[in-house]
Amino acid sequence: MSEVALPRAVSTRGAQAWWLQPKLAWRNLWRNHRRTIIMLSAIGVGVWAMIFMTALTQGMVNEMIKDGISSLPGRGQVHPPDYQADPNINNLVPTPDSELAEKFTTAEIEQWATRIKVPAVISSERESRGVTLLGIDPARERDIGFVDYAEVVCRFLESADDKGIVIGEKLADTLETEVGKRIVIMSQDPDNDIADRGFRVVGLFSANTENLEETYVFAGKETIQTLLKVGDHVTEAVVVGDDYRDVEPVFAATQALFDNGVVVSRWTDLNSYLGTMLRVMDGFVLIWVIVIFLALSFGLVNTLVMAVFERVREIGLMLALGMKPSSILGQIVIESMMLLIIGLAIGNVLAFASIEPLKSGIDLSIVAKGMEMMGASSVLYPQLRSEDIILANTVVLILGFFASLSPAWRASRYQPVEAITKAD
Amino acid sequence: MTRFSEESSVRPNFAFNRYRGVRRGWRALFMSLLLIGSGASYGFDPDTVTAQELVTRAIDLTRGHTSEAKFSMTIHRPTWERTSSLHAWTRGREDALIRFTAPAKDAGNATLKQGQKMWTYTPRLNRTIRLPFSLMSQSWAGSDFSYTDLSRSDDLLVHYELNITQREQVDGLWVFTIVALPHDDAPVVWGKEELVLREDNIILRQTFFDQDMQPLKEMRTLDIGELGGRTFGTRMRMVPLDEPDHYTELHYEAAEFDLPLQDRLFTQFSLKSGPK
Repeated sequence: MSEVALPRAVSTRGAQAWWLQPKLAWRNLWRNHRRTIIMLSAIGVGVWAMIFMTALTQGMVNEMIKDGISSLPGRGQVHPPDYQADPNINNLVPTPDSELAEKFTTAEIEQWATRIKVPAVISSERESRGVTLLGIDPARERDIGFVDYAEVVCRFLESADDKGIVIGEKLADTLETEVGKRIVIMSQDPDNDIADRGFRVVGLFSANTENLEETYVFAGKETIQTLLKVGDHVTEAVVVGDDYRDVEPVFAATQALFDNGVVVSRWTDLNSYLGTMLRVMDGFVLIWVIVIFLALSFGLVNTLVMAVFERVREIGLMLALGMKPSSILGQIVIESMMLLIIGLAIGNVLAFASIEPLKSGIDLSIVAKGMEMMGASSVLYPQLRSEDIILANTVVLILGFFASLSPAWRASRYQPVEAITKAD
Repeated sequence: MTRFSEESSVRPNFAFNRYRGVRRGWRALFMSLLLIGSGASYGFDPDTVTAQELVTRAIDLTRGHTSEAKFSMTIHRPTWERTSSLHAWTRGREDALIRFTAPAKDAGNATLKQGQKMWTYTPRLNRTIRLPFSLMSQSWAGSDFSYTDLSRSDDLLVHYELNITQREQVDGLWVFTIVALPHDDAPVVWGKEELVLREDNIILRQTFFDQDMQPLKEMRTLDIGELGGRTFGTRMRMVPLDEPDHYTELHYEAAEFDLPLQDRLFTQFSLKSGPK
């Protein structure tokens, strides 16, 4: 112990004591710089793993939810009461379509759409399939649906009275049909009579998952209203707000528009799988961070214990010279906090540096089928959320503080005489 | 695994059979049942008659007519063949009842049509089912026929543009080849249909083309005979052209026309209560 780092100006005056502890802690931190560097890299990698993995998971959840919402519910939907149990053409929204439009406009809800959504059978010469037929007003639907308009082969619907139909690329394959050919849509009108009509395929859309391409077909709302003989009525209205995590304002605004006779639901109710998923994920992130920290804390505590053991005589000396036990405690805690803060900084920088180049998406098309089963698309966009970063850093600092208390406490409780005379 | 609970509830819960059979076949079968009511020659000028007139006349002849027929249906596949016996009654173009009488396994299975609506009855389940739209395109009794469009028999006039492309005389009778092009919004999947119609309203051949105008399936009249005082196609075969060695054949064994049929014959009660 030749290079004992004694403060240059030891003073018993309390006024100087505040910077003494950080100074001692800082110097002690770099006394065994190899050990410190190893510990820093462990913390750095750990924190990086926390943030990076969280960003990936959040990205995946985000995509699933975005797909889920865009494929159906918007942020909230208006339905007749029995529609969810029986999506039947008899379950029409009692308010006429034009009145709905008026309501939304006066309530200053900007993004909304009304649709007819019914089960139907689509047939070509060779195949037929069960699909969900969506009668839409393309102008209103533009910002809501899952259709990638730039990718539509040929054209999308042009107006609510468009006589054509747009189907998914996958469905077109299955039906062995193509743009320009005719298919037949068969459904049921409110009198339970068969309503069918030929449509010319005017475009093919592609979506993130094949499931969507196979399930939905789009036709003009007015054309479908005529086909199904439902006049100026629709089966659902959809409203969209800004953030899918915050549906309450738009939900409340919509609910205020309607009295009895319809059910207004949030997307989390309509798609409870995703709604639950979103809630579970926030808890999952915390658990993930804590698990990583637990692994880290063993290293941290071990380092601190070692640092204390090495310095028993020195601590004894400082105590003998009149340093208060609380100062010893503070000194060790500060040392551990410095270690953690530097480690966190490294970890955060690593995480930013590794996520930034991946912002444009990670191509997972090799496992696309599996991802699709989970409802996720084959491109993963990591999502760095400030809440998650703050969460990881706070958890590490708070738990790190508690973890360092025990070795620090032990160090401050040494008897000076015993400590000084302790053989190495 | 179903992704969205909502989505699964929107989807019709039926297994959609892949059927490569003859979709319009039901109508063809039905047309054949209906058109056998004619069987006589009528005055017309073969050079100026239009396709519209020919088809209208053939269909009009059946208006108000009743028929009762016994026929067999043979479903032929490369590895197996099955023959069933059926008993059918029709009244006009609105009402029909078709019931299996053999083999014992199928006996009692029956289909009822009232206007556009259809029901099936299965004695084993003792259930009558109103056919939902989603089942209409399924194969009927495993044959090359499907339920589709049984419910409409005059759609040749409504949904197609008809043109005579060929007139010729065979054995002293005029035979017209009529090409039927579906209108744009017609609930018809075919690119076109081709009908070979003899002047006495016997359809000799009906071919269904896909939208690339390749023939997909064909209903052929193999025998023309006389039953119940009428001359009509007594043996007809539906052939999917893209599947060799597949066909369904109808063979009329007995027929009677313009007999008094009671209203109650075409009811759900009668659907259930017929000979088992």
